[in-house]
Order: sequence, then C-alpha cells, then structure tokens
Amino acid sequence: MWTTILVSGFSLGSFYTLIALGFALIFGITRNFNLSHGDLLVLAGYVAYGLWKVWGFPFVLTFPVAILVMLPVCLGLQRLFSRLHNPIELNSIVLSFGVAILIQNSMLFAFSGNYRLIGIPILNQGFRVPGFYVSYGQLTLLLLSLVIIGTLYVLMYRTYLGKAMRATIQDKDSAALAGINVTAMGTLAFCIGAVLIGLAGPLYGCIHYLYPSAGHGVTLIAITITIFAGVGRLSTIILAGWTLGLAESFTVVLCGASWREMVSAVLLLTLLAFRPHGIWGKGEG
Amino acid sequence: MIQSTSIKTFQYEDKKRFTADRAGLFLGFLLLVALPLLVQSSDYILQVFTHALLLASLALAWNLSGVSGSMSLGHAAFFGIGAYGSALLSLEQGLSPWLTIPISGLFATGVGLIMGLICLRLRGAYFALATLAFVEIPKVITDNWDTVTRGSLGLVGISGLPSLHMGRWHMDFGSSIIHSYYLVFAYFLILLGIVAFVFRSNIRLALQAIREEEFAAESLGINVNRYRLLSLLMSAFFTGVSGACYAHLVRYIEPGLVYSLHFSAVPMIFAICGGRFTILGPAVAALVLYPMDQFIFHPLLPAGHEFLYGAVLILTMLFIPNGFWGRLRKT
Repeated sequence: MWTTILVSGFSLGSFYTLIALGFALIFGITRNFNLSHGDLLVLAGYVAYGLWKVWGFPFVLTFPVAILVMLPVCLGLQRLFSRLHNPIELNSIVLSFGVAILIQNSMLFAFSGNYRLIGIPILNQGFRVPGFYVSYGQLTLLLLSLVIIGTLYVLMYRTYLGKAMRATIQDKDSAALAGINVTAMGTLAFCIGAVLIGLAGPLYGCIHYLYPSAGHGVTLIAITITIFAGVGRLSTIILAGWTLGLAESFTVVLCGASWREMVSAVLLLTLLAFRPHGIWGKGEG
Repeated sequence: MIQSTSIKTFQYEDKKRFTADRAGLFLGFLLLVALPLLVQSSDYILQVFTHALLLASLALAWNLSGVSGSMSLGHAAFFGIGAYGSALLSLEQGLSPWLTIPISGLFATGVGLIMGLICLRLRGAYFALATLAFVEIPKVITDNWDTVTRGSLGLVGISGLPSLHMGRWHMDFGSSIIHSYYLVFAYFLILLGIVAFVFRSNIRLALQAIREEEFAAESLGINVNRYRLLSLLMSAFFTGVSGACYAHLVRYIEPGLVYSLHFSAVPMIFAICGGRFTILGPAVAALVLYPMDQFIFHPLLPAGHEFLYGAVLILTMLFIPNGFWGRLRKT
C-alpha cells in the first residue's frame, strides 16, 4: 500500500509542480501574484474538453490549441497588471481576483456548471510491477510533467536567456542596469506561463472534474508550492511539489478524500507563520 | 494670518460639502425607510434589498479590518462560523435566535483570534494569501464533522427569526418580509453607527497611522499588533453576526454555500469599489451594485451574472483605486 501512495504522491506532485511553475515564474519576474492562474488552467481544460468532445480532436492535438488560446489571454492579463499602482504585490492580488471572478463567470456562461471529465479509457488501465500498481494515467502524468519541467530547467539554467530571466528574478533593478530588458523578460514570463497553462490544463481535465469554480483549489496549490519553494526560487520547486503531492496522498489514504482540500491550506499557513521565505529561504521572518 | 484664513476657507468648504452630503444621505435613508411602501406589490424587490442591506453590513464589517491596511480574502470563515454556530445552537439546543446570533458572533471572534495569531505577523500580499487559504480549514472541518454539523448535507429547517411583542407592536420577523426587512435595516443602521464611531475615534487614527507607515506608528507608541488584532476581531464579530442573520433569514445553509469564495469576495469588492477608507462607501456600493446585479444582469445572463463584480473590481483597481466614494469626497 505504501508504494502505491508513493507512486501516486510523486505523480501528483510532479503535476502540481507543472501547475505551479507558471505561477512562480510570473511572480518571480514581474512580482505579480496571479490569482486567476487556476481559473486560466481550468479554462484551458475546458478548451481541450470542447475540442475533444464536440469536434472529436485527438487528445494530443488539444495541447497546441490550448496554448494558442492562452497566449493572448495571458498577454492581455500582463497589460492589465502593468497599469497597477504600488504596492504591486497586493494590488495584483486584488486585480487578478477580479479577473478570476470574470473568468469563472464566463465559463459558467459558456460551459454551464456541469461536471465534465476528459475520459480517456487507456489512462485508467495499468500494470502491476512486483509490489505496486501503476496506472498509465499516473505514468503519463509523471513522465510528461518531468519532461516539461526538465525542458524549462534547461531553458532557465543552460541558456543565456534563462540567465537573464534568473537575474531579473534576483534583482530587477540590477538586471536592468546590466542591460537586460526587464519589460521583455516580463512578457516572456507571461508567454512561458501561457504555454505551461496550456499544457497543464488539458492534463488537469483528464484527472479532475472540470467545473467553473475548480480553479480556486488549483490557485491555492500554485501559491502553496511557490511559497514553499521560496519566493522566486525555481530550483527547489519540484521538491515542494513532491512534498505537497505526498502530503495529499497520505492524507487521502489516512483520513479520507474529503480532507484533501485542507492539506495545501494547512501547509501554506504553517509555512507563512514560521518560514515566510520558504523552507530553504534565508532572510528575515 | 494667511494660514488661519486658509484653514477657515477649508472649514467652510468642508461644511458646505458636509451639508450636500447630508442631504443626499438623508434622501437615501428616506428611500430605504419608505421602500416597503413604495414596492408593496413586489416581495421580490424587498427580498433583494433585504439581502443588499445584509451584504452592506458585511462590507461595513470587512472595512473595519480593511482600514488598517490589511486586505482580507478570508471573511467567509467568519461568515460561515456565524451561520453554522447560530443555526446549530438554535436547532440542537432549541435556543432563541436572539441569543444564538450574538453567541455565534463570539464564535466568529474566536476564529478571528486564531486567524489573527497565524496571519497578523504577515503584511500586505502575504496576509491576503494566508487569509485566502485560511477559509479552507473551517470549511473542511465543517464538511467532515458529520456528528455535529451534519456534514456536507447542510442544515435545513433552521428556525426563522421569532416574532417580537412590544406592547401594541407585533413584529413577525419569521414570515413577514417587510418586518424582516426592517430588522436587517435596523441592524445595518446600528453597525453603521458603530463603524462611524470607530472611524471618528482614536482607533481609526491609530489604524491609519499603521497603514501609512508602520514603523513610524510604532515609534509613536502605538501598539501595532494590538490595534491590528482589535480591528480584525471587531470585523470578525460583525461578520459572524451577519452570517447568523443570513442563516435565520434564508433558513438553509451548507458548507459550500456559507464558506464559499463569494462571501469573502463580495464584501471586499464592495469595500474597494466604494472606498476602503470611508465610512459609507462600502455600504453605498453594496446597495447600488447588488440590486443592479439582481435586477439588470441576472435576468440578462442567468448563468454568470456575477461577472459584474469582477469587472467592477478590475475597473476600480485600474482607474479609481480610492473607490468612487473616496473619489467623491476628495474632489
């Protein structure tokens, strides 16, 4: 049983990392908390659902379409954020809260409040390795998430562009002094965020029911992982994702599925109370 | 000499504006008093305005903590505790709602104390995020504690507000919409009076000082933590009382309803649109926006009519960060 929990924890945790990466990147570079992150992700899920169910697209082809839809939405969001007054962090929360309400109600209008799932039969089948059971869905989730995270890591840590982005995360003003176009880095962050949301949304639709207010829980997960990893730190984010995934898996098995929603909230509050700069962060409390 | 003249002019202008304000407010007040007479034919309109007044009191209560500069996204926790506390006490113990409503306000204050101990160390954005997450805890506990709260099934058959006999006056709050309207109106006026008192007292000055420059406030001898906690607790108490009133008016609650994001968002939206640091702004916003939502947008767009709140919030944040009431008072 424990190995099953571990497998589901790691696969869920990797997916959570994928969810949180876009949020963390946008926050790190532009200091905007995007509370509509989860709602955008659910919107991408709905786009994939519509294509798959109504027009009969093969599921794999829904990813590029979801990305194409998310790009203008995220860039529009950036335009909104860029007009905010100080304090940016707090005002971006309030503004994106409004955006979240807007998106939720548009989805309610367009797709109604029914629960929808992208049901792909093969994902529910699985195979038995000595000792534990893995479903293809979990395996896909794990591998796909790891591949995407790996690609982003290469981009961030092995290219010149990534270096510029990391410099912007560390200190915006110094980065600008060093000749980095900070505004362009912000736009780039929103573009990468859109790509990540477009990739994570359809996957989310496969493993969770889609309904208009589902995004709130997703946003909480993204916030928890980002703060857990330490604000602006991308290298520790996968550890944070796995921690949350394992914590949720253990809670579901030990206490029941209905307690799952509380895990990320408790984790976030504990962190904010004791280590507001992240588990591995330094600095004043 | 020049200085004193300018002060005089300022006072004069202030007085003139004050009378203009007063006239407008008095008119609004009269309209609200006479509303049941004006719309006698329609219970629906009266119901909407009863709810609008309740939301206005929520917005006023939110603003009690908002004035210290902290932006709470977690007031649904207090609202839900208030609703559940009062409903359960009256259902299980058979107590009168007149007793359970203030008691549940105290429950909400208790939850506010817990939230304060956890979240008040944080500032700005992190406080907002922490309160956003905090709501999940009472919600999930209420959802799962089946033996006490009946879990996700919710509570039905909550007793309505009992009738009150005062000599010749017989007020039937349980079944008469007009009487319950006046009750909520009275509660709203009392809360407005309390908010006005707080906003004109030293507490407001202290909270404003904290909001503007915390270190400076602290160096002047203001106990920052005590004042921030005080404002959160006051806010929690009245949000809880409003939640309890909601439970007895609607007479059906469930965790997903009273702990929903809606009840965290709506008071904040009204307060921000109306003007966070004004006495009346939040209430005016509630009394304008909620009927607008119900009468105009709900018939047009039965699903998704609440996009209005999102749109209004975005526009306010971008163009009038002080809120429209705050803007009016400045010009």
